[in-house]
Order: sequence, then C-alpha cells, then structure tokens
Amino acid sequence: MIRIDNLHKRFGEVRAVDGVTFDAADGQVTGLLGPNGAGKTTTLRMLYTLMLPDEGRILVDGIDAVADPQGARFALGVLPDQSGLYPRLTAREHIEYFGELQGVTGADLRSRTDHLLKMLDMTAIAERRVAGFSHGERTKTALARAIVHNPKNVLLDEPTNGLDVMSTRAVREIIRRLKEEGHTVLFSSHVMQEVSVLCDTIVVIARGKIVGSGSPDDLRRQTGHENLEDAFVSLSGLEPEGTPS
Amino acid sequence: MSKRSTPTSQAIVVIRKELRDWSRDRRSIITVLISSLLAPGLIFFLFNSMANRQRSVEDVTIPVVGAANAPALVDWLRQQAGVTITDGPADPEEAVRTRREDVIVVIPQNFVKNFSASKPAQIRLVADSSSQNSRPKVQRVRSLLQTYNGQIGSLRLIARGISPAVASAVTIEDVEVSSSQQRAAQILGFIPLFVMISAFTGAMAISTDSTAGERERGSFEALLVNPAPRITIAAGKWLAGTMTGMLTVLITAGLLFAMFKQLPLQDLGIRFRLGSPELIRTLSVVLPLCPLIVAIQMYVATFAKSFKEAQSYLSFLMMAQMVPGMMATMNTMSTKAWMYYVPWIGQQTLLTDVLGNKPISPVVFVIVGVINLTLAVAVLRGTAGLLHREKIIFGR
Repeated sequence: MIRIDNLHKRFGEVRAVDGVTFDAADGQVTGLLGPNGAGKTTTLRMLYTLMLPDEGRILVDGIDAVADPQGARFALGVLPDQSGLYPRLTAREHIEYFGELQGVTGADLRSRTDHLLKMLDMTAIAERRVAGFSHGERTKTALARAIVHNPKNVLLDEPTNGLDVMSTRAVREIIRRLKEEGHTVLFSSHVMQEVSVLCDTIVVIARGKIVGSGSPDDLRRQTGHENLEDAFVSLSGLEPEGTPS
Repeated sequence: MSKRSTPTSQAIVVIRKELRDWSRDRRSIITVLISSLLAPGLIFFLFNSMANRQRSVEDVTIPVVGAANAPALVDWLRQQAGVTITDGPADPEEAVRTRREDVIVVIPQNFVKNFSASKPAQIRLVADSSSQNSRPKVQRVRSLLQTYNGQIGSLRLIARGISPAVASAVTIEDVEVSSSQQRAAQILGFIPLFVMISAFTGAMAISTDSTAGERERGSFEALLVNPAPRITIAAGKWLAGTMTGMLTVLITAGLLFAMFKQLPLQDLGIRFRLGSPELIRTLSVVLPLCPLIVAIQMYVATFAKSFKEAQSYLSFLMMAQMVPGMMATMNTMSTKAWMYYVPWIGQQTLLTDVLGNKPISPVVFVIVGVINLTLAVAVLRGTAGLLHREKIIFGR
C-alpha cells in the first residue's frame, strides 16, 4: 500500500513535481502515465527514497518514507530509471547480490533465484556474465534482482521501455503474477496501450501535476472520449493549440 | 517477507561482491602484478649493474701496445691480482674512441733507453674521460702504474744509499666519500617510495570501479535502493579496496626480500641485511596506510562520472603522495618528531629508520597506525555523505 500526499520537488526554477497526490492499493496494478518529462521518474525517485521531496508525505505500508527511508526500503522492490549491471557478474550473481543485501540467504535465496530465473525464462543464461546480454536480458536481470526478496510493494520505472515483444510479455506476466499474489504494483509508462492492458488504476501526470486518475472507464467518462488514447492526450494537454477537445 | 539483514552482514556481502568483481577484471590483476614487480625489478637491475662495474674493476684486462719495450714492467703487471695482459690493437686511440677498449697502455720504443739511463721513461695511457663506465678501470690502471713507479724509484734511491722516505714529502690518503655503499644506500632509499606506490596502484581498481564505475554504469541507483545504510555500502567497498592494496604490498615486500637474498651485496661491500624482522617492521609501517589511501581514493573517485575521469584524478593524487618520498631521497632532511605522525611523511621517515636499522619504539608504530585509521574512517564518512547527494546518485 502506497500513499503519496501533496508531493513537491523543484530543480532550480523548474517545478518537476508540483503537488502530486495518489494511492496505490494492495493487489492492484497502478499505472503512472505521462509524457516524457512529466515528473514520473522524479515522483518514483522520491517514493523509493533516493530523492528528498521539498514538501509532501509518502507512506509505504504506513512507514513514512521521508522520516524512515531505511524502513521503507525493506518494504520496496524497485526497478529504477537507471538499472546498470556489473558486466563481470553473471545474472544469477546479480540476483543473489541484491537478495543477500535484503537479507535473503541460503536455501531460501537459491529457490527464490531459481524461481525468478524460470519465470523470466532466463535459466539458459543464468550463469553467463551480463557483459554480452541484450537489452531485454539486461532488463529481466534488473527486474529479477529488484524483486528477489519478495517485496510487498513493487515500483517499476518504465519497465518495458525498448523491449522486444517476448521480453515485454515476460515483464507483463510478472506484473500480473505480482498482482495475483497481492502485491502493490506501481509502474510508470508513457505508452497508453501498456497501461490500459495492465492497470486497475491509471494516474495521469503532466507537467508535475496529476491531471486525471481512476479506472480506464473512469477516465473515459471524465474526458468524454471513447478512445483511451484520446482521453490521455486530452488530459495531458498534449493536443496542439486550437484543436477542439 | 525476508528477515532483516544487519549492516555487518551487508558489508560482508558488498566486500564479497567487489572482490569477486575485481578478481575477474584482467586489467586490475595485471596492475597488481606490474606494480609489485616494479620495485624489486628496478632495484635488482641497479644493484646488479653496480656489482658488475665493481667486478670489472677488480678483474681488469689491460691491452698493452709495445710490451716488448718494457718486459719487466709487463711481467710486474701480470703478477698483480686480477690483472690480465693482452696485446693492444694497432691503433689504440681509435680503439678507445670507438669504445672497443676502455683503456690501453702504450709503451714507446725509447722507454728502455730512458729507463736504463734513470730518466723519466714515458708511458702513454689512452683513455676517454667522457666515458662514465670506464673511469674506475682507468683509475685502477693508473694506480697500478703509479705503484710500479714508486717501487722502482725507491729501489733506485736505496741503491744510491738514500732512504726512499726522503723522496716522499707528502703522503696522500684517499678518503672516498661517494662510496658504492652510499650509492647503494641511495638506491635503498627508494624502497619506501616504491612500496607506497604499490599500495596505491594495487587498490586503485576497486576504488575507482566501485565509485566512478558505478556512476558510469548507472548502477548506483539500484544499489542504494537496497535497505543498507550508505556508510555500510561505502565501508564494504573500502574494506575490499584495502584488502587488494594490502595484498599488493605483501607481494611487493615478499618479492623485495626474496630479491635481496639473491643480490651480491657482499661484492659491493654493503653490510645491509633485510631479514624477517625488517620485513615485519616494513609491513607494519606501510599496511596501516592502506586504509587511508583507499579511503582518499574512493572519496576523490566518487566525484568522477566515469572510470577514466577517476583514473586521471587519481594519477594526480599518486604524484602528490610521492612528494615526501622524493624530497627524502633527494636531500636528507633532518628528522623531526612531528614528521612521524603525518601520513606519508611519517611512513617515509619510519621506513628510512627501519632500513637504516635505527631502533623505533613500538609506541610510535601504534600511534601512527591509530592516526591513519582515524583519518581513514573520517574520509570514509565523507564518502558515505557524498552517496546521499542526488547529483552523485543520478548524475551520469
């Protein structure tokens, strides 16, 4: 369960995040939808405790992420914006490294790692160094290490960005499973289709502000557009000047 | 939900990961090997060439032109220890100029005539004074000839009933200041410098890869999302780097001492001993500096956005750390008490004492170690502080 209340972050004169408020419920997939530069990544960075908000409150399972970032991190699994890997380590070693940092050890760690490798269809490349991995293989490795400790809340920053069809499917499958298991899943995307396929709730963000939220049906009703993409364009104010909405 | 990990176990996890990552980096392994071979190799080379030069003076081959003109002199030369006489080349000047020979003795035809008449009989010594290498040999030949001169002169005086002492108004005793021992001591003076350089280069791989390298790859963000305090992550990286630095020092020191066992130090007349007690004392001077070296390297490298940038910062740092050592080898500063307690200057001073067999109180070792460690922890805290900065976590 994630609650974000009136979040602000400013970089110099730019109000990157300007009063963002939303909830992400357990057992639900929440999509943070917005064009590039809307404030998605900044919001998530504050949520996963690496950036300090200028103002506002963040609660992760009731833990104040600003006051107790350490406590919040135990309840989070994060695929950040930058998910660099270590070229000389294997996929399995990446997953185990993060697992051990989270306190997963021994047989528990092994079975968890094997389970994730299987689920992401990575068993064949598990013992290979990631130096030669494709973009899809890298993203899957980063995703696996992010959720190796079976976190209650999972944050994914543009998880399917630049992935091919098969890798995108694998990521979607993981998101569905996490939802079934009762996790809170919050992911960001600028792709309307992706969000509409996966999400129970969509939060539309533009220029640092929430411009609409609710189920896909809610959004259609709010904007009066049958087509969800039109609804998104209308909400984010992306349409060219003079075009009737 | 997993059970919560403790900072100690997290630090160990980071150490293991960094060491594993390091051991797979061919570049870092080669760096360790080269930097630990550098000092022993160079010192071995310097000493060996010195010993060779010394030997070439003791066993001297003298080409003589016109030996038939002074058979008594040539026979006398032959009887001297280590001297071999050969026939000189037709053109002695050319032979020396082209460096085929270091020195040639030419005995002119009128030698016998003058010698028999008890007049100064001329001998020509062909040498090239611009040749540094042949100088000791020329010196040796000249002194042999002067000895012969003195002996014959004395005999002639005795034959005339005069004491040879009358002819010696002044006797000169040579006191050589720039002895080979001293040159050897100069070479030995480089040891502290080399050992500290090896500590620096050995630790550099992890210091840069685990800071600037993480930034360059964009892996800091994912790493720092883990529920490990920044100081724990920094400490893990620091300890791993310290281990590699210490390992390099151990290899360097081991090679140095193995090499000193092989060196012909006796031939050089050097009474210099490097045994296990000296080894242990050398290590107890340099090893406590490793944590501080790594902490400073990490702090500096954290500001760099890429591995290469970090390396160029660190090469400046390495030159800076060489300054005290350089100053100590160039002009012998008088040792003052405070010098022991300043990092780098202290190590240099202590090592000079250790190699010069001066007694040092163990208390000094302990204080120096504590100072180094305290400073290292302070710098490490600084690095952990940097890991809170958004510009460093996200800035690529």
